[in-house]
Amino acid sequence: MDAATELKSFVGGSLTLASKLLLVAITLYDLAVKSFVGGVEMKRMDLVSGYKGVVGLVFGNENSTSSEDSYVERLLDRISNGVLADDRRSAMTELQAVVAESKAGQLAFGAMGFPVIMGVLKEERDDVEMVRGALETLVSALTPLDHVKGPKNEIQPALMNTDLLSRESESISLLLSLLSEDDFYVRYYTLQILTALLTNSPNRLQEAILTIPRGITRLMDMLMDREVIRNEALLLLTYLTREAEEIQKIVVFEGAFEKIFSIIIEEGGSEGGVVVQDCLELLNNLLRSNASNQILLRETMGFDSLISILKLRGSAYSFTQQKTINLLSVLETFNLLIMGGSEADPGRDANKLTNMTVLIQKKVLDHLLTLGVESQWAPVAVRCAALRCIGDLIASHPKNLDAISSKVLGEEPQVEPALNSILRIILRTSSVQEFIAADHIFKSFCEKNSDGQTMLASTLIPQPLSMNHAPLEEDVNMSFGSMLLRGLTLGESDGDLEACCRAASVLSHILKDNMHCKERVVRIELEAPMPSLGVAEPLLHRMVRYLALASSMKNKDGKSGTAGYVQLVILKLLVTWLADCPTAVHCFLDSRPHLTYLLELVSNTSVTVCTRGLAAVLLGECVLYNKSSDSGKDAFTVVDSLSQKIGLTSYFLKFDEMQKSFLFASVKPTQSHKPLTRSTAASMAEIEDVDENDLSDQKNEDHPILSSMLDAHFVSLIKRLEADIRENIVEVYSRPKSEVAVVPAELEQKSGEGDKEYIKRLKAFVEKQCSEIQKLIGRNATLAEDLAKTGGSGSIQAEHRTSGASERVQAETLRRDLQEASQRLEMLKAENTKIESESSMYQNLAAKMESDLKSLSDAYNTLEQANFHLEKEVKALKSGGSSVCPDVEAIKAEAREEAQKESEVELNDLLVCLGQEQSKVERLSARLLELGEDVDKLLEGVGDDMGLPEDDEEEED
Amino acid sequence: MSYAYLFKYIIIGDTGVGKSCLLLQFTDKRFQPVHDLTIGVEFGARMITIDNKPIKLQIWDTAGQESFRSITRSYYRGAAGALLVYDITRRETFNHLASWLEDARQHANANMTIMLIGNKCDLAHRRAVSTEEGEQFAKEHGLIFMEASAKTAQNVEEAFIKTAATIYKKIQDGVFDVSNESYGIKVGYGGIPGPSGGRDGASSQAGGCCS
Ligand SMILES: Nc1nc2c(ncn2[C@@H]2O[C@H](COP(=O)(O)OP(=O)(O)OP(=O)(O)O)[C@@H](O)[C@H]2O)c(=O)[nH]1
Ligand SMILES: [Mg+2]
Repeated sequence: MDAATELKSFVGGSLTLASKLLLVAITLYDLAVKSFVGGVEMKRMDLVSGYKGVVGLVFGNENSTSSEDSYVERLLDRISNGVLADDRRSAMTELQAVVAESKAGQLAFGAMGFPVIMGVLKEERDDVEMVRGALETLVSALTPLDHVKGPKNEIQPALMNTDLLSRESESISLLLSLLSEDDFYVRYYTLQILTALLTNSPNRLQEAILTIPRGITRLMDMLMDREVIRNEALLLLTYLTREAEEIQKIVVFEGAFEKIFSIIIEEGGSEGGVVVQDCLELLNNLLRSNASNQILLRETMGFDSLISILKLRGSAYSFTQQKTINLLSVLETFNLLIMGGSEADPGRDANKLTNMTVLIQKKVLDHLLTLGVESQWAPVAVRCAALRCIGDLIASHPKNLDAISSKVLGEEPQVEPALNSILRIILRTSSVQEFIAADHIFKSFCEKNSDGQTMLASTLIPQPLSMNHAPLEEDVNMSFGSMLLRGLTLGESDGDLEACCRAASVLSHILKDNMHCKERVVRIELEAPMPSLGVAEPLLHRMVRYLALASSMKNKDGKSGTAGYVQLVILKLLVTWLADCPTAVHCFLDSRPHLTYLLELVSNTSVTVCTRGLAAVLLGECVLYNKSSDSGKDAFTVVDSLSQKIGLTSYFLKFDEMQKSFLFASVKPTQSHKPLTRSTAASMAEIEDVDENDLSDQKNEDHPILSSMLDAHFVSLIKRLEADIRENIVEVYSRPKSEVAVVPAELEQKSGEGDKEYIKRLKAFVEKQCSEIQKLIGRNATLAEDLAKTGGSGSIQAEHRTSGASERVQAETLRRDLQEASQRLEMLKAENTKIESESSMYQNLAAKMESDLKSLSDAYNTLEQANFHLEKEVKALKSGGSSVCPDVEAIKAEAREEAQKESEVELNDLLVCLGQEQSKVERLSARLLELGEDVDKLLEGVGDDMGLPEDDEEEED
Repeated sequence: MSYAYLFKYIIIGDTGVGKSCLLLQFTDKRFQPVHDLTIGVEFGARMITIDNKPIKLQIWDTAGQESFRSITRSYYRGAAGALLVYDITRRETFNHLASWLEDARQHANANMTIMLIGNKCDLAHRRAVSTEEGEQFAKEHGLIFMEASAKTAQNVEEAFIKTAATIYKKIQDGVFDVSNESYGIKVGYGGIPGPSGGRDGASSQAGGCCS
């Protein structure tokens, strides 16, 4: 090789590298920014060293050139400039190997290789072997190398490469066009590359594919390809359709539903392998939050194919993990249909209703009952999902409510209503999850369904005691009500109130918002547990007794924590029951000790905040809905004992404490389902029968029963009650009852009344007044005491008691305002921190760009220097041997010209990039301005010494 | 839900010409007086009867706004029929027809049946494009033509059905390879006309207008 060619290739080669370097550098920033935003502080050293490696290569910096860089460069040169086809092919093979082997190889490839490889893919379509090799090299360049142990936060060249490649929408359309090639490997590798791109930069790929005409069509065609390709395409499509509504619609337009279901059938339905799972994941992506696609499925294919996946065929008794996952996935599909689309879609409700109607028409309920109720050998996760699905399917849908209440299960003569079977699950299951799922059915069934509630309540007829001791198995012949009553009272003898608590939960659904049922159930009387213990007692009293019993069982109970929720569930029942129901309040107060017990419970510090709070609510209901005029049971008595035993201040405090407790705070209006993906599916399927505390998305201290019990409805009931109770109690104070009617006419002597009688009457009157004054004094004293206890510090609770109703209202408003204001403050604070972090991110970004511009301009200087040297050398050579070798002279001139031309082109490139950087900076500045930052001040720091963003940030605080 | 054939339609044309209204009138027999800009595409379906055969129409109503063009183009190739709509009261929507056609010719399959609809013919007093001009344009470009009103439902059924009848005729004449679904035609399982339940059945009274 003569000097001139060497020169030429040196100058030419390094300039190309320079522009690649720029791209890599930009990518590095993106990565750095990403990791910064994600809160994972990436080690800057790694970035810098990776960067330096490439810099070293370009500028001959002696100590940081990696051998891979020059090796890869040589191979690329052979591929692009080689003449012999064989040599080029073997270079490609070698390149693939080096890229597959090491991160350094991947890095070097990323810096230089893409144009060459894309060139091969574009220009050499006919050379299948080259195309294959090129694609395989790309696959290797994009596949993260995990086996090489490196520092934790080291950058993954594979990810950088993915990022780099996905930036060019042209490369994506080139890749898509390769899917129409005949060669199997070409299509296979291409799909792998697309999947890699999609995993790493989903949004960019989604956007790019949307703009490529027929892009999605090509991918869809792959579903009809050979099995290996088809499976790869399935995976790709699941990534592609995640949260991309327009793509979801196009995929469906291209006939995705037909294809998905035909693959599922081909693969054996729920018995099939992971391909079925992938199909269902794709299906769920297409239906999730997409009412339009749901309508299309319903109106064209119908739900039959979907429903048939639920049917257990063949080996119905065996459940592999894969089958479990498949069933869970298809149950999720039903869930999505029942939800009807995205929250924001105005057509959602109509679609939801139609879906629910059609699903029931198609007998989905039967299959769900088979799976959730009758297949006790099925994994508990599947049973629970089926039960939840039943609940959702009937909720607030009159026809579907009828459907479930008229369903019977079993075979003659052992048939029974489905609702009975579900109740049995509630009473007997050992799985808390299953109880919650089955309980959800009754919750849904009773919601806005007073006929249904009445129907269930009508069967609540106490059985003779003997029945209660009948063996459990005989309950097949029992009515719903008998089963429920038995459940309510079953555990007393063996000291286990678990069944009672579950039955209580069901009963509270039956009573909710239904006056008729409440009053009916108040009248239910139970025989004494042991005849020797005396008379029958109302069911309501029994429940109060169990409430007390639950707390006393607390410590001897093996399962710690049970007592807590047993009490809460019973309290919820009572609170629901007494709401709006004077008869129930009357019944409750019928037994004097009840009030005493409740007063104790409210101030009992050994029970949870929620227990105290609910007890306080119950107490409040005894005032609010008290229509009694018997002294000793009337509202005044309750308020009096309340203020004497607890004190109004600390009474109201119980409400606040409960509201603040995180159980209440964490109540969400609707449960959100996590999409079932390959990675989450396995853990879902593994929910075992003994799973007291592993609902993954629940906090440890939060018992799953509690969060299902304290649903949004109940919490809003509590909030409403609280407001009413506050008002009512104050009212009781502000309008003390008068035992004496102070009507002047009555003080007059009546005609025909003797003096003696008149005096007697007046005396009695005065006595009454005296006693009332006495009472008022007493009450006044309590209030004063209470006031004294709060220390008159102007506390809000103190206001409640001392001021009149109007002032109280005012105080309440003020309190609300204060709350709102502090909420707003919190929001603003959060926003502020967000803005701050954003601005510091932009600062960092700006600083990095600045420093990069500097190194680029340095690089350019070096380049120019090199050029200068070369020129000098050329001159020297010229003067030395011009006469000897005119050819060399000419070649040199040419080389110089070319070098100059190329450097000009590269300079232009650089300028364009600089321009882009500049406009980025401008955009960022604008954004910073928007965010209220002083851009000039920021840039001041950046301009002269690259600033120390961290310091700036601290100053801002 | 059985059908002899399934046809995929797209509805295209400038924003505001009444594409969504035509679809709504056809599927739900309702009119929507306010303009709900379509975002991307929306879907509708209905069963009709042609030559005593139940035919399912799957209809994609696209957004007319320029910014959605790249998305809506994805729907051209797989469609058997297109309703190209303009607004007789807005001349510019008529002037744009050529560019819509060009788009269709470029992205759709060559056998796509195109029905030109001059919509809002109830607004005769504000007419800006004469019937003859519409006819003329259709003739020049080999389209079927109708004036219609999504508001009064005039010619709405007819437009959808006439398009289907034309496609059906093409199938009979062997123009399509119906096993290739990329033409937007699918052969169903149930070719037998029968009392199909639900609202599909209720709305399949029309038809039989093809030879
Ligand atoms: N008088 C009358 N008004 C109509 C008729 N069809 C549509 N409109 C009105 O025209 C407006 C636009 O109708 P759309 O159907 O929403 O328009 P579009 O073509 O779907 O518009 P994009 O979704 O933006 O592409 C609405 O206000 C309709 O009420 C019609 O036949 N007669
Ligand atoms: Mg529209």
